[in-house]
Amino acid sequence: MIGSCAAVQDAGMADDAALIAHALRRLTFGTHPERLAQFDGWAAPDVVDALLAEDAQNLEPPELGSDDDYSKLPYWWLEAMAAPTAGVHERMVWFWHGLLTSSLDKASPALMWRQHRLLREHALGNFRSLLQQITVDAAMLYWLDGAGSTVEAPNENYAREVMELFALGRASGAYTELDVRAGAKAFAGWWIDGDHDDEVVFDPDSALNEPVEFLGRSVQTAEEAIDAICDHPACARHIASAIYTAFIGVAPDDARLAELAQVFTDAGLEIRPLLEAVVRGPEFLQTRHNRPRSAVEWYVSLRHLYDMEIDWWYLYGLGQVPFAPPNVAGWPGTRRWVSAGAEFGKVAAASDYAWDTATLDEDDPVGDLLWRAGQFEIGDDTRAVLDDAVGAVSSRRDLSTLLHALLACSPEFSLA
Amino acid sequence: MPASLSRREVLKWTSAGAGAAAVGGATWLVGREGAHSEQPAPSVPTVREGQSGTTPPPAPLPAPVVANQDLSSRLLVVVELDGGNDGLSTLVPYGNGRYYDLRQRTAVAEGDVLALDDTVGLHAKLANLHRRGVAVMQGVGSAQPDGSHFEMMARWWSGDPLHANTFDTGFLGRLADAIGDPAAPAAAVSIGSGNHPALISRKVGTLAVPDAGAIGYLVGAEDDAMREAFQRGYAAFGGAPGAAMIDLLRAVKQQSLSFAQAVGEFDEEDDTYPGSALGQGLRLAAQLLATDLGVRIVHVPMNEDFDTHDDHPGRHPYLLESLDTSLEAFFTDLDNRGLADRVLVMTTSEFGRTARDNASAGLDHGTASVALLAGPVNPGLYGEHPSLDTLDDNDDLIATMGFDQYYATVAEGWFGVPAGDVLAAGATPLDGVFS
Repeated sequence: MIGSCAAVQDAGMADDAALIAHALRRLTFGTHPERLAQFDGWAAPDVVDALLAEDAQNLEPPELGSDDDYSKLPYWWLEAMAAPTAGVHERMVWFWHGLLTSSLDKASPALMWRQHRLLREHALGNFRSLLQQITVDAAMLYWLDGAGSTVEAPNENYAREVMELFALGRASGAYTELDVRAGAKAFAGWWIDGDHDDEVVFDPDSALNEPVEFLGRSVQTAEEAIDAICDHPACARHIASAIYTAFIGVAPDDARLAELAQVFTDAGLEIRPLLEAVVRGPEFLQTRHNRPRSAVEWYVSLRHLYDMEIDWWYLYGLGQVPFAPPNVAGWPGTRRWVSAGAEFGKVAAASDYAWDTATLDEDDPVGDLLWRAGQFEIGDDTRAVLDDAVGAVSSRRDLSTLLHALLACSPEFSLA
Repeated sequence: MPASLSRREVLKWTSAGAGAAAVGGATWLVGREGAHSEQPAPSVPTVREGQSGTTPPPAPLPAPVVANQDLSSRLLVVVELDGGNDGLSTLVPYGNGRYYDLRQRTAVAEGDVLALDDTVGLHAKLANLHRRGVAVMQGVGSAQPDGSHFEMMARWWSGDPLHANTFDTGFLGRLADAIGDPAAPAAAVSIGSGNHPALISRKVGTLAVPDAGAIGYLVGAEDDAMREAFQRGYAAFGGAPGAAMIDLLRAVKQQSLSFAQAVGEFDEEDDTYPGSALGQGLRLAAQLLATDLGVRIVHVPMNEDFDTHDDHPGRHPYLLESLDTSLEAFFTDLDNRGLADRVLVMTTSEFGRTARDNASAGLDHGTASVALLAGPVNPGLYGEHPSLDTLDDNDDLIATMGFDQYYATVAEGWFGVPAGDVLAAGATPLDGVFS
């Protein structure tokens, strides 16, 4: 393990408050004021350790079964993300949802919830178990059309995407079109019994009755095909790269990727040791402000800053609704969150709710605001914009409204 | 917590067509009440069976639209049928028995075809397009197709059918560079919240806009000190340089502000468009093109699921109907605005679907498809229909027209931009599509 002291030194000028805010932005969904208070005065590496050691949130499940289920699910999850107890586990559930996608577009809320429970269970567990189970999860079987696929006329969708996007990566060169076709046969035979609570059923008559060659192995069942995928060296690299990119903000270089893939392989594809290797590396605290906040991160952070519930409908305009990724590849990453289109949506949300934010400290409204926002590395220009605003309106209430809206629309607030 | 905050019950997705109602709370930055009320309608094709399949009543044949001969006045709307549209269900080879052999579960019956000749015809759900006249490009694809959505979308967006070049711009971005004004706030716009790779340009501005209402926040502050102060501060965020990511954000803020100021406020005309993402996207496209901001190209992702791996017969007709009714509303709007002779509509889609259907009455990722050009075009069939007898090594259709040839036809034929300026060498435009 790389020493924590080196990490702090490499982090340069930034003080612990700034590093802690960074750790919270990356390991949770933002800088909840209760979290900032909780870790006030701590050393940043200790905060990383504390966050890694936390248990999953203990949440009341949503009450499903009405016409509102399609909106209840995203609402429920966003509440969970915005809670002060949201931590590394919640963050990893969100990560897996963005990688091993399914959507309300094709699966019912009840089945998306069933899949969500699976993600919660395995978020920091074993990747092989997760992939095995999600392969025959009802929402996934609908989303990628495995349901009803037969070996005589197999549906190729899951076989292709599980290799291209979920577990191996197209650029790895690990598979060919022949593997897609053979995999489709191995994944055939599963269907969903709509008469019995959408139970997932296997029908041997529509499945392979002899092995096929897949990724250089002989496989006959979905389980054997997933094992072949998980055992392929490209799998550990693919997942290590995805987790590194999610937490560090850029893709790993070759040496670091090889190191992390080895950690993951040696751990038998256990997710927790891989995650710990990523966020205890020196680059975690060092590489701050190097990627934009996703729409969900920005929205949750706005709730933290404004200390209020904010209608999640804005996330439609911002292009990111939980449980409804735009396609099988999940939400497009990083740079695409920076756009004029997103600006319009952010200005709208920030403006609509700024009127009822907290009234800021009379003597140092800007300092009070920046503390509430967890912004300890604000640029001089942004600072000047906020300071100039202090003289622009007369009442203390109006000033608080204006400052909140401006900070929410500042460049710094759009960075993770 | 504010007791007065009127949290609105979120509309059910299944009634998404209506769009979202205004959000509660004070609207102190809004130029006009409800300016932010036009959230884009989410696309949720979950209620396939609930959709009505009504075909519009036959209307009198409109006079053919003659293209405006001033090339610099011409505009383009690109409708992307994302997911991979099946060519054989769009232009149906109903006169070819082999089609019904290959498509045992998913073939379109002859009775649902609007014949263009004695072998092929448009799907009946495209009745309005058929009535107005459409130029059908047959067998469009790549000579070296790929089965990945993301690979093929990247090729279409960059304009590189073989993935042979390393364009760092998008095809529409290069086209906008060739025809657009670098001084305009945007020469090309994509409807959506994220910058679109197809619109990456070098010289002109391009951007994404999710909906018209969103623009209203950054304009019109004359009589309100708070709003004025906000807009002044927002504008100042676009100031001096800093770290790379901050610079990027600053530039985008500057662009947002200029665009919003240029657009101002749209007229509150009646909304005659379908509530779908495509319908509302085309409505915004018409507004942007009519405003004379210098926007020459609008890209509208349809955001409906053409990836019909299952239940193709239960899904695809409604996708075509959605396309047809939204375009009909758009062309009617253009007629009323006097823009019809200036606007060409082209469709794109990353690939067609497998020649044979699968057990789920679906179609997997295929190769060649059809593309449609509508507006001031010479209607008819262009290129050759792909063979149903001679298939490729994977039993898929062999493309008869590279999509770069299709792109070249639009670039040269519609805008007078030499194909070689925006595409790799070898892309030759088709003759006769435009008068």
